[in-house]
Amino acid sequence: MNASRTAPLWQAGALAPRKLVAHLFTLAFLAAWGAASLVAPSYLLPSPLQVAQRLWLFVTSARDLGHLGSSLFHVAAAITISFTVGALLALIAYYVPALRLAIERRIGPFLNSFSAIGWTLLSIMWFGVSPLTVVFAISVVLVPFALVNMSAGLADLDAEIIEMAQSFTRRRGRMLLRVVVPSLYPFIFATLRIMFGVAWKVTLTAELFGGNNGLGYMINLARQEFDTTTIFAAIIFIIAFVHGVDRYVLGPLQASVSRHYAG
Amino acid sequence: MRAEQTSTERVAARLIGEGVVVLALLAWWLSARHLPEFILPGPVAVGRRLVELAVTPEFLWNVLVSSWRVLVAIAAALFIGGALALLAYGVPWLADIVDARIAPVLNSFPSIGWAILAAIWFDPGDFGVIFVEVAILIPFCLINIAEGLRNIDRELLEMGQSFTRNRARILWRLTLPLLVPYGLSATRIAYGIAWKIALVAELLGAPSGIGYLMLRAQTAADSTTFLATCFVIVLLFVAGERLVIVPLERRFARR
Repeated sequence: MNASRTAPLWQAGALAPRKLVAHLFTLAFLAAWGAASLVAPSYLLPSPLQVAQRLWLFVTSARDLGHLGSSLFHVAAAITISFTVGALLALIAYYVPALRLAIERRIGPFLNSFSAIGWTLLSIMWFGVSPLTVVFAISVVLVPFALVNMSAGLADLDAEIIEMAQSFTRRRGRMLLRVVVPSLYPFIFATLRIMFGVAWKVTLTAELFGGNNGLGYMINLARQEFDTTTIFAAIIFIIAFVHGVDRYVLGPLQASVSRHYAG
Repeated sequence: MRAEQTSTERVAARLIGEGVVVLALLAWWLSARHLPEFILPGPVAVGRRLVELAVTPEFLWNVLVSSWRVLVAIAAALFIGGALALLAYGVPWLADIVDARIAPVLNSFPSIGWAILAAIWFDPGDFGVIFVEVAILIPFCLINIAEGLRNIDRELLEMGQSFTRNRARILWRLTLPLLVPYGLSATRIAYGIAWKIALVAELLGAPSGIGYLMLRAQTAADSTTFLATCFVIVLLFVAGERLVIVPLERRFARR
């Protein structure tokens, strides 16, 4: 908001109570959770302390961290595959007008409206319970996100810059690498950030039904043993991890890329 | 540069577009011929099952149950997400609670986590499923409506304030109408997520619904029914978007 930038000094102090209120809210929430856990049995609602202890175990146990590693691998592999496929489709639609309708109006909407649950269960039928199932399911779900966002980026290209580039070279490969791709950097990062968020939502589901490792698999084991504490610890860990990476890694990265290339 | 197309090129693109669909169906048919039916049934078998399902009362009932849950969940998520966004907007000292606590946590909360918690907490049934769907949809609604509030024209609000000091009146007559386009785009996103991701709620802890049918078909290795159900979801999704959301968006286009 513009108002905050030009706010007088005395208003800068107004930020502190807001932060304080937010911290109080967190404390109140933990207190309410603690109080509720005294009444409810621990397989329904474990206490915050139990969950904290389990979280500590989580970050110190090689086996649990191994599950995190598998999940990270699934997410990274799926993002790489789906981004490549989606970006290629977008580039083909951009350079070959005859195929544009086929890609943007047929393939894209179909992939976009096919249920993620459908892909997950379908890939279990095809590949059994394996990492391939998980990576395949996440990849197909992510392709439309990459396609839509990269098409938007290509449609947004500055026609005058392309014209200028055409006056320097007629080699399309050179133009793609030197002009088109750099102008797309902000979109590429925005796309990757969106994909990272969606990937986690799908990954755990895919791992739960069709994986033999990863955090989703771990949650499934805990579910079968009525180990609600582990479920809570895993969920909290995932929230912290996903939010942390998005906020402190991808966010600043995206901001610096946009500043550099959009300015 | 995206070259403009002449009319002949447009016809050609159209032909290629439909050609890709035909080609995909053909490739599906060819590969299904060499695969057992429980791996990949052919397009004809799936199409026939689709028609069979469309006249099965039990199936239609489950579709209705799922659609009803999705609609209730979207309405509830829009209401709760919108209320949270308005709260953060109207009461500045509460803004951090919404923006820095509730929104990030809900946004990063794994959807399967909600489904499992609901399966532990509630008896299988409508309430559990709708709870999970609402929990998954709230962040999408919250973020879109908060974005709309950020983009509200300050001058319009100032003008409104020069006419009345009644805040409820300004909210009702000015803020909410200005938010309609953002509410619609929130609805559109929520509708897609509901059918594609939130259906996970019906895999765990639901005795009815499309998700339940899918899981049942999958466990029975009945790929034909399973694929037909997937296409029913595609049809429902496309129909809802074309028949309800797009006309509404056109009606309330950003002015």
